Amino acid sequence: MNEPFLTPEDIADIVAILDGSDYRELDVATARFRLTLRREGGGEAGGRWSQEWQWAAANGPAAVAVAVVQDTPAGLVAVAAPLPGAFYRAPAPGAAPFVEIGARVDGDTVVGIVETMKLMNPVHAGHAGEVVAIVADNGAMVEGGATLMHIRPHA
Amino acid sequence: MIRRLFIANRGEIALRIARTAQRLGMTTIVGASQADVTSLPAQFADEVALIGPAPSAQSYLNVEAVIAAAVAARADAIHPGYGFLSENARFAEATIEAGMIFVGPDVTSLNAMGDKLMARSVGLAAGLPVVPGGEAATPEQAMARARETGFPVLLKAVAGGGGKGMKRVDRADDMPAMIAMAMSEAQAAFGDPRIYVERFIARGRHVEVQVLGDGHDALHLGTRDCSIQRRFQKLVEEAPAPQLADATRNGLEQAAVALTRHLAYRGAGTVEFLVDAQTGDFFFLEMNARIQVEHPVTEAITGVDLIEQQLLVAAGSRLGLTQDAIRPSGHAIEVRINAEDPAADFRPSPGRVTRARWPAGPGIRIDSHIATGWVIPPTYDSLMGKLIVWARDRPAAVALLASALATLSIEGVPTTAPLHRRIAADPRFVAGGVDTRFLEGLA
Amino acid sequence: MAEISLVDVSMRDGNQSLWGATGLNTAQMLAIAGATDRVGFSAIDFTSSTHMAVAVRYFRNDPWERIRRMRAAMPNTPLQFITTGMRFIAWQQADPDFMALVYRHLQVAGIRKFIMLDPMHDAEAVIEAARLVKREGGAQVMGALTFTLSAVHTDRFYADFARKLAASDDIDCFYIKDPGGLLSPDRVRTLAPAVKAAIGARRLEIHAHCTIGYGPLTSLAAADLGIVDAVHVGVGPLGDGSSLPEAGRMLANLKAGGHSVNVDEAMLAKVSDYWWRLSRAEGLPAGAPQTFDASFLRHQIAGGVMTTTRRQLEELGLAHRFDEVVAETERVRAELGHPIMVTPFPQMVMSQALYNVIGARRYAQVSDEVLRYVMGKFGRPTSPLDPAVESAILDRPRAAEVAAEPPFPTLAELRRKWGAHLPEEEFLLRAVMPPAQVDAMYAAGSSSAHYNPAAAPVLRLLKELAARPAARDIVIETADTRLALHGGAHVA
Repeated sequence: MNEPFLTPEDIADIVAILDGSDYRELDVATARFRLTLRREGGGEAGGRWSQEWQWAAANGPAAVAVAVVQDTPAGLVAVAAPLPGAFYRAPAPGAAPFVEIGARVDGDTVVGIVETMKLMNPVHAGHAGEVVAIVADNGAMVEGGATLMHIRPHA
Repeated sequence: MIRRLFIANRGEIALRIARTAQRLGMTTIVGASQADVTSLPAQFADEVALIGPAPSAQSYLNVEAVIAAAVAARADAIHPGYGFLSENARFAEATIEAGMIFVGPDVTSLNAMGDKLMARSVGLAAGLPVVPGGEAATPEQAMARARETGFPVLLKAVAGGGGKGMKRVDRADDMPAMIAMAMSEAQAAFGDPRIYVERFIARGRHVEVQVLGDGHDALHLGTRDCSIQRRFQKLVEEAPAPQLADATRNGLEQAAVALTRHLAYRGAGTVEFLVDAQTGDFFFLEMNARIQVEHPVTEAITGVDLIEQQLLVAAGSRLGLTQDAIRPSGHAIEVRINAEDPAADFRPSPGRVTRARWPAGPGIRIDSHIATGWVIPPTYDSLMGKLIVWARDRPAAVALLASALATLSIEGVPTTAPLHRRIAADPRFVAGGVDTRFLEGLA
Repeated sequence: MAEISLVDVSMRDGNQSLWGATGLNTAQMLAIAGATDRVGFSAIDFTSSTHMAVAVRYFRNDPWERIRRMRAAMPNTPLQFITTGMRFIAWQQADPDFMALVYRHLQVAGIRKFIMLDPMHDAEAVIEAARLVKREGGAQVMGALTFTLSAVHTDRFYADFARKLAASDDIDCFYIKDPGGLLSPDRVRTLAPAVKAAIGARRLEIHAHCTIGYGPLTSLAAADLGIVDAVHVGVGPLGDGSSLPEAGRMLANLKAGGHSVNVDEAMLAKVSDYWWRLSRAEGLPAGAPQTFDASFLRHQIAGGVMTTTRRQLEELGLAHRFDEVVAETERVRAELGHPIMVTPFPQMVMSQALYNVIGARRYAQVSDEVLRYVMGKFGRPTSPLDPAVESAILDRPRAAEVAAEPPFPTLAELRRKWGAHLPEEEFLLRAVMPPAQVDAMYAAGSSSAHYNPAAAPVLRLLKELAARPAARDIVIETADTRLALHGGAHVA
């Protein structure tokens, strides 16, 4: 059973004890975690305390498969994902895509959506021209900056 | 009696549920997506069950996958947390059919309150006042309703909550696009695109009441004020709601208990109201039939462990608490630290946290699953952690909040901490009793 | 054979027997409340007016809040309150209106079972107190048969007492309570059936302390009779010693005897683990199985009082007269009408024996407590006092002064004194406790609900270090933990 060694209430109790002393830092290390309690602000009485935790086991979520950034062919410009998330080509499931290959766009045209943390972020073409390739799949997870489509800019 | 509890959620709430469940002697199993199998809640729990790949639709929102994992883990009960499937009646039914206890209200209550339109009519039936507005099955109906109530209006998700899928519309011209986006967000967050239209009340305060019921008795644990919101997402919550006339406060609390009794509600719930900042009139908005993100502020002032009460009621016990036993004391404030960049219009900012220093000390509680070196994935919501302070009165709580925020230091991803520092310093916040337009006027 | 349930006395009787006033606070009990509720005990021996006074005096815990929070955390297992009936914290008996208020608030706060324990076995007094309890709420009332060894306390005596109580509808069940650990397995085989015959269908429980080793064997002998419904136990380190039989061992023994006990063994193990870790973290001594001591059956004085008396004799240079004092104790007890040796009587009787031995003549020196006892201020003695001794005791000027002591104020007088505006729970505490203690309790605010035995040693260590002048760096390493403390730049 992975019972924690120190609970949040213990932290408050420890800080209350240390605050009345001249110590400015407590470091607790076990096989599972490392906790540092630090008095910020120089160590005078009344300095505020912070807690910093580090966990021994793999720190954070496992890798998630993402679409990779590609080189852009000459003469074309890339429309890049403004931030990481899921790329959608249409405003809603089942609706028509914002653009198909051959569509004419200008800088402000919305060409897709990247959904991040449940919010829809519009992707703007950024260039006037014609859509020649759609690189990322509908629904794919993309990294920030990944190429979503290629545009041949107007002269 | 619940011996093995399956936690069908992630992040800080999964950790929070596991703490209480372990204290009660339950074996805890966290149902984690591929992305979360080494997360802090998964490490903390007694067991981990893999429920699917990272995307929520294939994991946390996938009823069949969650149920199958819980059954395979021989769980007696499932706690759904908040968001995800916590108010999904089909999920609750499937849990029960699979022979497990659903830690939440009965399916009838979920149906009554999960569909926000139905909730409005139930609220009316229970004698509560509601905001003018109504349902809109099609964009045309939405437009017609909006013309009835008058602009500005709010478009809300029928299956929703948590401020998701809500859009304010000021002009008729903007309606078609906003309706489309609202329906799309509703679909993504709740699996149901339906919306309804409500009059937008300009100077309103969002005040909610925490309730507990066991199917026979109902009681309230006081008010919370959640008026500081951005795009209908709560940023700061406090308990009790400050600067309320006694008549308003009593009215809210009694109305909440009346609704809870009317439903013969079992478990923890929150009845949300819109309070007219000037007149003190209040309108029933919706009831959230689950534990809420901001529950710690109520715990801080009442000393009641709400997760514990949920688990006790779900296992079939009558409430051991009476209304008389609820004696709130002091004042508590919570701020949500989100991985979002306030300087870039709150764009979500997933990434690796190179340092996470949270404040610590008496009166300070941190509910977080994020530590130094952790990666925040883009797949889920942006909540990194909650900072909760408690002090003997509101001025002391505000001062403690400011001091705690000054100590908070998260590096590697932008967060909303700087925004909260500005909020804590704002004279209107310090005075208390702000309305939902607060953020617009922030320096 | 029979279906037996268990009653857990860990938090009160076990705690009081083994850990005394330095025992448990609200947080330490709340931390294990949920798990305890899920074991399947039929009741928890939770509190008493002494327990409540200790909460205020030593821990600054609000005792009413403590009951409320336990009740909230334990919806399934009734919390038990033990009382002599007409006293609340103060040594004097209170008036019925005051006690009615006490019983009302105890029940509102969450007590669902009351034990009426009158060591004098005054049936009328017990019935009157039970009536008050029932009037103020729906709690269960259990009548206590308090066991002792004496010519007077025969099986017939207990059966008669039980029969009188059973005539009242306000007594729901009974228990044989052996606080001294004097009840042998042989004796319970006649006593329990005699009592059961008198009480008919009402439930009978057994509560046998382990002071000289009888407790577990007597409890099992009682269970084997097939007429006992519940056995009282203490969990882990709070069992054995001068407490009740240890729960895990009793459970195993009951099952070995063919009885069925419906408890969750895994949960019981979790609760036991918690108490063990707490006892180690706080340096509290665990109860251990006790060896038989035949002399105890005669003098019946518990270890603590014996130790104190021996020390007092040493200080007077009279250690060689200790055996005389012990023998005199038996004589005094008989002369005073065989009071049962529960607090305050052991101290009272042994001090009087000490005075009798070292004084000019017997009963030359008499304590105020003995005077009050003889005057009936603790209740009507079970059997008559030796008349010669009684007049010797009362024949002194101090007797008139003690007789003239004002009784406990009436409820009306107390209301006048404290005003009508105090919340009633506060009023009840202020009526019986020193103001400074009650003030300090309220000033301390709501009690902590959190206790983590794993962290307690760390907290204690840090407190010690914080109290000393700071060092530049201190590193403490154990097998699985490394603690490093760093002083500020200005630390030498």
